[in-house]
Formats: sequence, structure tokens, C-alpha cells
Amino acid sequence: MNDVDAPIKLDDVLKRGGARCPGAPTTQEIIADDTVPAPAWVRSESYEFLGDEDISTDRYTDPAFAKREFDTLWTKTWQFACREEHIPEVGDYHVYDLGRYSFIITRVGEDDIRAYYNACLHRGTKLRASGTEGSACEFKCSFHGWTWNLDGTHKSSTCDWDFPHVDSEKFSLPQARVATLGGFVFINMDPEAPSLEDYLGPEALSHIKAWKLENRYITLHVSKRLPANWKLTMEAFMEAYHVIDTHPQVAPSNGDANSQYDFYGDHVDRFISTLGVVSPHLYGEISEQDIVDQFTLGDSSAMGDTKIKLEDGEKARGAVAKIFRNMFEQAANADLSHVSDSELLDCFSYTVFPNTFLFPGISLPMVYRFRPDPTDHRKSLYEVFFLRPVPREGERPEPAEPIHLGDDQSFTEAEGMDPGFGQILDQDTDNLRLQQEGIEASAKKSITLGNYQEIRVRHFENAVDKYVAG
Amino acid sequence: MTDTFSPVLKLADLPPGSKKVVKLDGKPVLLCNYKDRIFAVSNICSHQYKLLHGGRVRHGKITCPVHGARFDLATGEALDLPATEPIETYDVRVEGDDIEVSL
Repeated sequence: MNDVDAPIKLDDVLKRGGARCPGAPTTQEIIADDTVPAPAWVRSESYEFLGDEDISTDRYTDPAFAKREFDTLWTKTWQFACREEHIPEVGDYHVYDLGRYSFIITRVGEDDIRAYYNACLHRGTKLRASGTEGSACEFKCSFHGWTWNLDGTHKSSTCDWDFPHVDSEKFSLPQARVATLGGFVFINMDPEAPSLEDYLGPEALSHIKAWKLENRYITLHVSKRLPANWKLTMEAFMEAYHVIDTHPQVAPSNGDANSQYDFYGDHVDRFISTLGVVSPHLYGEISEQDIVDQFTLGDSSAMGDTKIKLEDGEKARGAVAKIFRNMFEQAANADLSHVSDSELLDCFSYTVFPNTFLFPGISLPMVYRFRPDPTDHRKSLYEVFFLRPVPREGERPEPAEPIHLGDDQSFTEAEGMDPGFGQILDQDTDNLRLQQEGIEASAKKSITLGNYQEIRVRHFENAVDKYVAG
Repeated sequence: MTDTFSPVLKLADLPPGSKKVVKLDGKPVLLCNYKDRIFAVSNICSHQYKLLHGGRVRHGKITCPVHGARFDLATGEALDLPATEPIETYDVRVEGDDIEVSL
């Protein structure tokens, strides 16, 4: 019997992955002390040890691996294509591109959204250019004028006398599957794939439904090409382990090493990273007043010149939560008295495989989307959307237009970007360039992961393997 | 300086959020009342000379309903393929009850 086949003892399994940051309260203990208690989806844990083997790095460097992903993974998974607010009226459409794939996402009826493969059935011209959106009552090809109705049925062919062999009934635009959740439009190219609900699983689905993200709208949308493979880029955002070194300005007010990591089924994982508490790395160096004074995450800049002076014995976390509650109540004209301190403050980072991050918190209300660069597997297309509550009065605002940054531009240059947040993204970008190049330069052809803090990376790569292996 | 503006439409006939096509010296001019501002542009798409007036206006830009080209209403700049050339824009003003355009 070789080592690979050796039975694993139950004690070993329980021990491995069981360690947590010594001398620090857990995320759940921090949240349990809050004034306004957190909902059930916050107050649960779902971690299991998934192994501690290295992960080979050819997946980040080999163009053949990227091709396999395009052929397998991307064709079988549910992907966030657009928000419903991008296509509010019948006839509105939004083009979603993934590598060579392209879809026209269009609203055919009030509750009928379709995803057409974006290509004319005559000689293949895209019916709409990539990256565009608008409104149409039909889709007409710009080459020879072949036309499809909004519902995808074939309407007309120019000089149809020359095409007696074309059966109009059989020339409807092929479709991908569509599902909506929380105001997001998801598509899946695989007719055999599980439903979006089954794909997410009941636990994760219940979390996402609880957030009611359909009641938010895009206030800022920034995109930029990042200098690393899309999976490396995703993984840079899956753990708070890097905060103390990469984002030292954040650590005084972030429970980084004692963040909580969970996963649900094959396709969803998360962390909860508490704010308004000091990093365990800095215990003894930072006072409660220092935590408040150095609070740099989320909407810290929106606090303006507000200075908080803590009373004797008062905790920073409670004081910042109180300030945030007042600030967001005024900004959203909403009653937030029932919203927990944790939801107001903390960083909740969920991944929906393969390429979407949802942050349902109030002060960190982002969505990330990552896509492979179709021309270079060593680069990826990154987008951040900020989702704020729809104002209670007046018309629903239009979703913000994307701001496309150049490769060498700072995220802080995007109009409307919180400067502190832009700086964090720049720091992550700097790492990614070095990581992609380092992985290619390394004598070691694998990465090594922490059992707990990097469980999301392993969980994510397990899912990649499942699809790419077929 | 010669006043080249001509009245083309009553302001009341272009309520907020609406579009209307008028003709001035034989040219089709698309008027858009978008977010408290009136824009006047050519109604002809620079891509394949289709009519723009059925297109969606968002963020001060109009999308051609036929092939999806998008233009800035203020500058006429082509923002999206398949168009690469701008559309004409015209000076516009409100005088009393009238919308006036200068070609």
C-alpha cells in the first residue's frame, strides 16, 4: 500500500483545518457582542477541510488549459450577464461577452428575458456589437439585412426568393438559458445544466434571497484589464489573509486573521471579515480610539470630517456602526434601525462560481465580475459594480454607465470611486502582476494553501477541476 | 451677426423624456428632451443612414434601433460600433414657447 492509498484517520481529518487564529475572538464571537443582532445567514458556519495538497500552476500559465476552460467550464456554468435594470423595458437589450461567446440579453416581455447567441444565421455576423446595449423592436443584421423578431423568430431574409432552402420556422435565433435572482440576469449555455436554484443549493440561495439585491441599483461601474489569469485574479479577493501585508492601512480596523470562511455545495463560498476591530496581528499596538481614527474601509471617506471620540470603555465597532447607521439612513432615506451592526459594517464576500463576487453588506455593497481576456490568458477583465438601495421616492435611477480604465490607470482615477477603496484595488493589482510573472518564473510548479484562510481558493479550484476534467 | 435660429416646434409639444422629428431646410432634425435639456441632432445614423428616432436615450446618448450604434447627443460622437463616424449636432435654444434650431 503506498501513501496515497493510506487510510486517513478520523482524528487527523478533524485536526487538519481545525486550527483558528490563536488568542483572537472568532468572527461569530465578535458579531454576537453587537448591539443590533445579525440575521441567521450571518450567524452560521459551513467549513470543512478539503485537503492540503498543492495545486499545480499550469492552470494559470498554459493556454491549452484556458482553451479547455472555454470549451467546458464557461459553457456549462451559470454566469451573471447583466442586471435587470440594464434592460428595464421590453425591447431593451444588453450584449454579454465571454471570450469568443457573445449573447444578446433582451427583454421580450415583462417577465420574459432571453439570451440569443449573438450571430446572424445567414453568414454569421454579430447582430449587435460587443459591449453595447440599447433598444430594438427587431434584430437586423447590418450585412445583408436578415431580420429576427424580438422573440427570436425569423422575420425576413433579403431576396428570400434566393433561399428556398431556408425554412423560416427553423431559423429562430438559438438561445442560452436564462434565470433571474436578486435583480441579476444569469445565463447558462448548457441545456442539461441544473437550474440556477439547484446550482446554488438551498443554503446559499436562502442567503442571496435574504439580501433583496433587486432593490438596489448600480451607482458606479468601473472596469479594468488586470495583469493576471482570471483565476489568480479571483483568488486575490478570496481571503483576508493578505491584508496585513498588502493593505496595512486597513489592518488597524479589520479582523483579518480571525475572519470566517465558509462554502456551500460546489459553487458558492464566502468570507465574513469584521470591521471596526483590530487585526490580531496588531494586538497591543492599537487602541480602540486608534481603530476609529484609522478606519479606512468602505465609506470611510463619506464620513467626511466626522470625528468620533470614544467614551471611556466604549468600543470602536459599536461607535462606527452607530455613525454608519445614521449616515446611511440619511443617504437612503430609509429606516435602518433593524439592520444589524454586522450588515452595516462588515465585509461579506460571496463567490458564485465561476466568476462573480457578491458583497451584500451596506458599507461595502459591491459586485465583482471577472472574465478571461479573450486574447491573452495571462490577463483578465475585472469589473466592480457598487449597488446602493433604490431611493424610496422618485423614479428608479438609471444604472451607472461603465467607466473603462486603461491598463496603467489607477482605480482612484475613476470618478466616484472612494479613494481608499481605489487604493486597495491598486495594491491588489500590483500583487497580481508580480504573481503571474512569479508563477511563470518559479522552480516550484504549484501553489501551497492554508487550510482555513485559503479554503475558498481550494474550493474554487476544485470546481474548476470538476468542469475542466469533464 | 445674423440670427440663424428658426423656430421648429412648440416647447409644449416636446415634454420631458420625449423625442420628435422636425424638418428644417429639408434636413430631418431629431429633438430630444432629456433630463431638463433639449438636444438637436441629425435623425440619420452615420452607419447605414437608418432613422434614429426610435432609439433609446440613456445618459444623454441615443442608440440606433436598427443596428445598435450609439451617439452622444451633445457632441454627436459615435460611441459604439458599428458606427465610427459622428452624427451632426445643431445649436438649439428656447425662445418663449418655441424651440429654435440653427443648422
